[in-house]
Amino acid sequence: MDTLVDINNVRKVYKRDAFEVPVLNGVTLAVPRGDFLALMGPSGSGKTTLLNLMAGIDRPTAGSIFVDGKEISRFSETQLASWRSRHVGFIFQMYNLIPVLNAFENVELPLLLTKLSKKERREHVHAALGIVGLGDRSLHFPRQLSGGQEQRVAIARAIVTDPTLLVADEPTGDLDAKNAQETLDLLQRLNKDFAKTIVMVTHDPKAAQRAKRTLHLEKGLLVESVETAAIA
Amino acid sequence: MKFAKLIRRNLFRNKLRAIMTILLLAVIFFFVATLLAILDNFENFSNAGEGANRLVVQSAISLANLLPYAHEQKIRAIPGVVDTAKLQWIGAYYKEKSNFFANFAVDVDKFPTVFDDYKVSPQDLAAFQADRRGALVGTDLMKRFKWNVGDRITLKRQIFPFDPELTIRGTYFHPVQTTSVFFPMEYFQQSTGNQGQVGTFWVKVRDPKQMASISQQIDAMFKNSDYPTETFTEKEFQQNFMSMMGNIKLLFTAVSTCAILMVILLAAITMAMSARERVTEIAVLKAIGFEQRLVLAIMLTEFILLTAIGGAIGSYGAHFLFLAVDAGKMTQGFLQNLGVHARTLTICMAAAVGVGLIAGGYPALRASNMRVVDGLRRVV
Repeated sequence: MDTLVDINNVRKVYKRDAFEVPVLNGVTLAVPRGDFLALMGPSGSGKTTLLNLMAGIDRPTAGSIFVDGKEISRFSETQLASWRSRHVGFIFQMYNLIPVLNAFENVELPLLLTKLSKKERREHVHAALGIVGLGDRSLHFPRQLSGGQEQRVAIARAIVTDPTLLVADEPTGDLDAKNAQETLDLLQRLNKDFAKTIVMVTHDPKAAQRAKRTLHLEKGLLVESVETAAIA
Repeated sequence: MKFAKLIRRNLFRNKLRAIMTILLLAVIFFFVATLLAILDNFENFSNAGEGANRLVVQSAISLANLLPYAHEQKIRAIPGVVDTAKLQWIGAYYKEKSNFFANFAVDVDKFPTVFDDYKVSPQDLAAFQADRRGALVGTDLMKRFKWNVGDRITLKRQIFPFDPELTIRGTYFHPVQTTSVFFPMEYFQQSTGNQGQVGTFWVKVRDPKQMASISQQIDAMFKNSDYPTETFTEKEFQQNFMSMMGNIKLLFTAVSTCAILMVILLAAITMAMSARERVTEIAVLKAIGFEQRLVLAIMLTEFILLTAIGGAIGSYGAHFLFLAVDAGKMTQGFLQNLGVHARTLTICMAAAVGVGLIAGGYPALRASNMRVVDGLRRVV
């Protein structure tokens, strides 16, 4: 299995006024294509920072990050934005849908950055909403959807451009048990049926069990790697 | 445009705030458009005699002091002077004081040569000159009072002790001065027992290049007389007339500028609030690939649209209002033909776009420059 994400000795230090706060202290990690990786660890351990770095929304203080053979840690802001639009799908804890747009329009947003025609965009959006089981809710606004449905729209938005990498930051953190299960089912299906590479940050061991493997971080270092024995 | 829907929805995401902001902008731009229209009106009034090569001779003491008729012959004898006409501002009104307009006694035989930019048909001119109480009326004034040629009108006195009783003998057309009444100087003299004095002499000059020298010659000629003169070009004369009300241009410009500065500050507050409450959304847009420049363009377009809508409602509102109402009547004849013209509309719309750009520039720039991780972390 070839490596999709290759992180080499990455350090990240945040500057807060006069203080320097080290968050990652030399992390090296390889994520194979088609992997479903869970990142776990206590608050402040650097999980979200690591996720942000491999998604290209933050830059390492030192070290290098390659995704699909490209060293994204050297990209300019403009190059990163363009790269993200084609290669990364984001799933957030709070869904982060645009409240003034309906489900269809929210899912269509990333496609507005492509050269697809209106008809092609519509086909892609309907396909993505179909995959997450919300084909009949395309005209509903976020306030008219349940939390679980909102998260599924967010997943549709994340997959609509067929990205190379899906990153999910606590995707079940704001959901009840039933909706959390459905969301994890969906992520697992995307990984299994559509061969999507997924990196998920979670606090929830049950959620982590749905991944193929789990990495633990503590104080900015990878301390443990666990292969999930049985995938549901 | 692919992002039109996003811009439109964001524009009215908080309907009450958007409507209140638009209303505020509309009120201020209505005010600014009205002030500029009044300034335009004054400017038009000042330019009424542009190209007519006329000088106006008045008393050096003040416009209220009269000059002897004897001056006229001497002025007419100056080389380069085509002709002269006596003109007296009467200051009467029609029926009610609110029906105020310019009315003058004039030398009727000199009218066609000195006031050759006032277009009158030969028949009307002949009828006007033949009637001692005949009146020549501007086309817009005829419309305003629904007068017809042949109608008898009586003006009420304000300055001179007589009520001009006139018969309308004809109309004149002039591009600016459309609401005046002229009647014979002879009637004024006889009715008031005038002892051969008049307020102004209007001097038609052959060559515009000679106007300055002729003006100096006239004033030099009477410098040591009992009735010294001050000679102006027609534009200067009209401007002096307007300046009797103070420096209106400066005042109106200052008030308009203050109004626009005020609206910039108020719009800036609204736009800063709007940008601030969307920090996470903007971060999400950037995360999924919207470049900084695109986010900035989307936000600025939204802010400029907001101010442009307000500016358009206000300035076009003023435009249509002054088309529909008689500002001359409302202002007791002070502002005739008040209108918000294309130039004023353009200025107002440019100012509205400018307000959006200035007020929204900083919040939009700040929001679009924000790092994605900072925006996602922010709890608003």
